Amino acid sequence: MASANIIHVTGLSKSFGSLKALDNVSFVVRQGEIFGYLGPNGAGKTTTIKILCGLLPRQSGEVSIGGLDIAEEPVRVKQRLGVVPDESNLYPELTCLRNLDYLGELYGLSRAARRARATELLGIFDLTDKKATPFGALSRGLKRRLTIAAALVHAPEILFLDEPTTGLDVPSAKALRALIQRINQQDGVTVFLTTHNLFEAEALCHYVQIIHKGQALAAGTAQEIRQRVTGRKTLEVTFDGPVPGDWWQVPGYRGRPPAPVNGRWHLETAGQELHQVLAFLLVRAEAAGVKIIDLEAGGANLEEAFLAILQEQRPGKEENP
Amino acid sequence: MKQWRRALAISRKDIVSYYGKPPLITWGLMFPGVLLLSIYLKDPGTYLQVSPGIVAMTLLFASTSMSAIVITFEKRAGTFQRLLLAPLHLDTIILGKTLSAAAYGLATTLILVLALAILLGLRLTVPGLFAIGLLLGAVLFALMGLIASMVVKEVFEAMTLMNFFRFPLLFISGVFMPWAKLPAWLKPLAWLSPLTHIVELLEYGLTGRSHFPSPWLPLGASLAFLVLAAGAAHVTFQRRAYL
Repeated sequence: MASANIIHVTGLSKSFGSLKALDNVSFVVRQGEIFGYLGPNGAGKTTTIKILCGLLPRQSGEVSIGGLDIAEEPVRVKQRLGVVPDESNLYPELTCLRNLDYLGELYGLSRAARRARATELLGIFDLTDKKATPFGALSRGLKRRLTIAAALVHAPEILFLDEPTTGLDVPSAKALRALIQRINQQDGVTVFLTTHNLFEAEALCHYVQIIHKGQALAAGTAQEIRQRVTGRKTLEVTFDGPVPGDWWQVPGYRGRPPAPVNGRWHLETAGQELHQVLAFLLVRAEAAGVKIIDLEAGGANLEEAFLAILQEQRPGKEENP
Repeated sequence: MKQWRRALAISRKDIVSYYGKPPLITWGLMFPGVLLLSIYLKDPGTYLQVSPGIVAMTLLFASTSMSAIVITFEKRAGTFQRLLLAPLHLDTIILGKTLSAAAYGLATTLILVLALAILLGLRLTVPGLFAIGLLLGAVLFALMGLIASMVVKEVFEAMTLMNFFRFPLLFISGVFMPWAKLPAWLKPLAWLSPLTHIVELLEYGLTGRSHFPSPWLPLGASLAFLVLAAGAAHVTFQRRAYL
């Protein structure tokens, strides 16, 4: 799948007054992959996308997209990019079909190519019956779909998606994720995806870069990121009745305070202490007359790893009580 | 596809999308139309004297309003970003937006001139010069609106800023009072107004006379202002379009 580097960013920095939005950020994106650019709000994700797409000048660093520098050859680079901003921003007064047609004109497509591509995209994004509907009259989910379709009208090599599913309901977000995978797998489009939705990143991304306060913190596959939280295990236990809260003051307890979720208790522990924690719980359960009816142990997921990595950046601010 | 074809695509889209907007019709057509009718009703013999000025004013209001309102509106709606993301030179965007605004200014002004010809018997003495005056004015004023749109965020701010310049221009440019009758201290200032030279070109076109010794003078000055405005628009876009 992944091969040559299509985006190469080295030492990228950008400040807004005294605020350092990006501080010496470096990463590469390989051709054909879905690259996840993760971080909390204000981490610098949108600033990065704006610089890569030519909407913001950088202060220092090097940015190469397909071997070209957007600062030097903006028109040639932009021809290869499709961009979906965090807000759906097509022309509200134009119909879905006319929006795609107009953007096709801006990207230099011939009339016949525009018509064919617009029809194809409306079909792929299940918007054929809305082709005569003005963009402004669409629901939020449909607007998002058409905005992505519009970014693909010129068949770009790279698609930038800035928080693509933010604000969508669950079915719409799920459908959109399936479409993103389809675009990547069938058309071979490299996807640069920013999100703070870690489930989305884990489900979609081949490679993940975590950014926080303008600094790159960690990079790798979701599995590699999870492994950075060395030896951390998650344990989910379901009892057949209520148990006292202080049971969780167990010797091997780590991470966030455990909380019941859908009738199950979830906690984190160091891998080598798993045996000790289980023994402790069994003794307490036996003495209280409750039974363990389900038990699941596993490694940290991406969300837990993400939070642990962020926590490493905040010395003295322990989440664990 | 060549960049100029993309500029034409921008113009076409703007013309279809925005020509019917109420503020453009109000400022572009109704205001000068009502003004000229009032002057005619007051004194039918003198309306021709102010016609070049009123026609130039129509061109000024229509062209500047179209460019300033459209870009400010698109910046507010986020759709202007679409143009910045597309593979377009900034000059392509400037050209596209200028053409649509200038076309609107021309169309509005021609409606007024046609109405004057039909209803009040207005005749052109040098039609070619009149047409050149209209063309130069439309493009020049559209560029002025474009520049204004880059320094404001809201549509009402664009209109306020434009009026801040447009009304003084009306005062010093011989729109209501011929250039020759302006006070001596005001005449040098009138030379610095692009509207003065457009009014004079239209005056030549309508009556074959002018307060200037030769039509080449306002023609050259208008061209110089046009180049200046195009340069200023380019610099302003470079500095502010991405903000």
